[in-house]
Amino acid sequence: GMAAGAEPQPEALRLAMPGPALLSVLVALLAVAVTFLLWRLVQGRRSRRRAVLLLGLCDAGKTLLFVRLLTGKYRDTQTSITDSSAVYRVSKDKSANVTLIDLPGHESLRLQFLERFKAAARAIVFVVDSVAFQREVKDVAEFLYQILVDSTVLKNAPALLIACNKQDVTMAKSAKLIQQQLEKELNTLRVTCSAAPTSLDGSATGGPAHLGKKGKDFDFSQLPMKVEFVECSARGSKGEEGDAELEGLEKWLAKIA
Amino acid sequence: VGFQKILTLTYVDKLIDDVHKEFRDKYRNEFQQKGTLGLLNGTFDFKDDFLRLLRDAEESSKVRAPTVMKTFEQSQKSQKTVKCMIETRGEKPKEKVKNKKNKGSKKEGTEAVAAASKVSTGDKQPSTAGDKEELTRDEILQKNREEFFKKHMKAGEKSSRSPKPEAQKEKGKKPRVWDLGNSNAKVLDYSNSATNGSGEACPVEEFDPDMALGDRNREPGRLYDLEYESDDEAEEEKVIQNPSKPSAKKGGLGGMFGMLKGLVGSKSLTREDMDPILEKMKDHLIAKNVAAEIAVQLCESVAKKLEGKVMGTFTTVTSTVKQALQEALVQILQPQRRLDVLRDVMDAQRQRRPYVVTFCGVNGVGKSTNLAKISFWLIENGFSVLIAACDTFRAGAVEQLRTHTRRLNALHPPESHGGRTMVQLYEKGYGKDAAGIAMEAISYARNQGFDVVLVDTAGRMQDNAPLMMALAKLIAVNAPDLVLFVGEALVGNEAVDQLVKFNKALADHSMAQTPRLIDGIVLTKFDTIDDKVGAAISMTYITSKPIVFVGTGQTYCDLRSLNAKAVVAALMKA
Repeated sequence: GMAAGAEPQPEALRLAMPGPALLSVLVALLAVAVTFLLWRLVQGRRSRRRAVLLLGLCDAGKTLLFVRLLTGKYRDTQTSITDSSAVYRVSKDKSANVTLIDLPGHESLRLQFLERFKAAARAIVFVVDSVAFQREVKDVAEFLYQILVDSTVLKNAPALLIACNKQDVTMAKSAKLIQQQLEKELNTLRVTCSAAPTSLDGSATGGPAHLGKKGKDFDFSQLPMKVEFVECSARGSKGEEGDAELEGLEKWLAKIA
Repeated sequence: VGFQKILTLTYVDKLIDDVHKEFRDKYRNEFQQKGTLGLLNGTFDFKDDFLRLLRDAEESSKVRAPTVMKTFEQSQKSQKTVKCMIETRGEKPKEKVKNKKNKGSKKEGTEAVAAASKVSTGDKQPSTAGDKEELTRDEILQKNREEFFKKHMKAGEKSSRSPKPEAQKEKGKKPRVWDLGNSNAKVLDYSNSATNGSGEACPVEEFDPDMALGDRNREPGRLYDLEYESDDEAEEEKVIQNPSKPSAKKGGLGGMFGMLKGLVGSKSLTREDMDPILEKMKDHLIAKNVAAEIAVQLCESVAKKLEGKVMGTFTTVTSTVKQALQEALVQILQPQRRLDVLRDVMDAQRQRRPYVVTFCGVNGVGKSTNLAKISFWLIENGFSVLIAACDTFRAGAVEQLRTHTRRLNALHPPESHGGRTMVQLYEKGYGKDAAGIAMEAISYARNQGFDVVLVDTAGRMQDNAPLMMALAKLIAVNAPDLVLFVGEALVGNEAVDQLVKFNKALADHSMAQTPRLIDGIVLTKFDTIDDKVGAAISMTYITSKPIVFVGTGQTYCDLRSLNAKAVVAALMKA
């Protein structure tokens, strides 16, 4: 009984003997795999959201703003049909940098590029043409609404800056006026969009949350992310040779970096 | 891109490709090393190169001088004997049969028709090899074509019997002579006065009971099923698809190695890799009720977009192609400009004018039903609706709308909306002019302060020219804010034809500089298809206008909006 029981044991031990060598190899491999995964995760998290997206309607001035921020020079630009990205050094002394991504504003392209880059967004600069704003109020508000109700944007709540561009022109509207008009328009839009017939699979088209607080008029302070308004001019009032007036924008970028 | 349609410059495509390649090669280093900042900071002195390429392209397009016509001695005709040029009677009907057969069959036959016309001209010089001294290249091509179409002859023979008596009858027709001077009614009266109206008009001797009855063995009173002859089309498909089969087999073997290669390193996609997958995807789309031409065009555009793309590691060709197709489908379904009806109604309200919506479509798609659903939705959102019954043709159309109005008013009585009737019907009975009724309805709505006017029109086939003209007139005269095309989700290839012809009619018969076209689509009867949702794709692809509403049933609440991702998921699901 006991002897028989004791005998299989050393045999079992002997079978497991080559074990330690094999076992140590397995443990080593496992450790390597775990560290590799951890490293990837950490790096992914760190680099996942380092992008600042430049969004806006066509002709708002996104590409010129992009060029000015990166090189300080003026370039003639064409309507973008694809994204451009580059690393932007926030200020000379700080080592922080962000990736600026300039996305096309054309109607047929804007949504698919937003789809591609929204997950990587740490902040969004929404560029508005202050001169044509009165005419384009509805389109501006519609695009802004589409960005704000997007589920990924709501989840990440990237900081939002609304850059009222083209302030060098005398007819440009002020940032305050633009803010008021956008709030009014978004107020109407959230009612009409949520009143649309429900989607085919049952989920509401207007997004899971009603934008802002119900019962009260829409206000940018009701949004989950920080919203700021800034006036800027990519072209600059001294003509093409002069500098752009981007102090507000650069300060904000330094803040969020 | 627009310019290709304005200037028919044949060298444009090639020029763009050349410029692209040259620019990329010249500045390849800068792109690779410096990235975006290099692009912004670098200077690209490309003007001279571009002008040189443009000059080359222009010259190459001029090089082809107009071909000089061959003299009679040089042509082949002079080398033939007279005998072989005589056409024998027996061959003509067969040619006609071939052409008819080829025109009758659908997409597979398009290549066949082009080839058939070539063969019929070739047949006029029937090949008698003995008469000629040499077989030129064209003769060889002709002979090959004839052998190719001998296989068609087998199918053609079946119906060659019926056209034969037709051909003989045609010969019997003599040209009718109209004398200008003799406009006497009597001379022009060809009717047989003795037989008009009398019972024995039909000469009894010619009536053959056997021919009239047809199949003698049928049971009297029994209704037989429709016999479907699919042999002819199957043969044509076999003939045409044969050349493509060996290439598919080759693709299969190459595909396996390609897959292994793709798994390991980075591989750029070529046409041959994508073709078998695209074929499968195209068939899958067609099985899901996407119109055939649309499926073909979609696959073509996906192939063009992916050509030369470098795949990442661990991605197969199939997954890349599927991903690209999915993105393309989502982009088609998501409108460029979202149509927000409520927002536009609010705008019209502010301007103190009614917002006019017109519904058009073919017969039986559900215009009146969905009109009622949309008016219910509008009432729920607090807008008052006037329904204009401009369907003055179909029996019961006005009564149907009256019943809907009564029901909607019962659901939303005036008491709960501040004493104002939310729905009213404007009708003028049957037989009147639809455009006139619409105009009166709109001015009535303006006077009474209605927010929305929904105009219901009669269903009409897209081929019916007078009715299409009447519809175009209604839309041009009344200038509605929204023209909605109502189409059912069950429609297949017909969707393309319907939409194209409706748009064309609206554009042709409008006097304005920018004609009003279809602004949106209402997709009805969506609950009758489970996942064969291809009609949505066909319709949005043709018009590039959004699907505004989707009808999913017969009750008032069965009105939905389109969810592009869900529809594409259902479409791509195997």
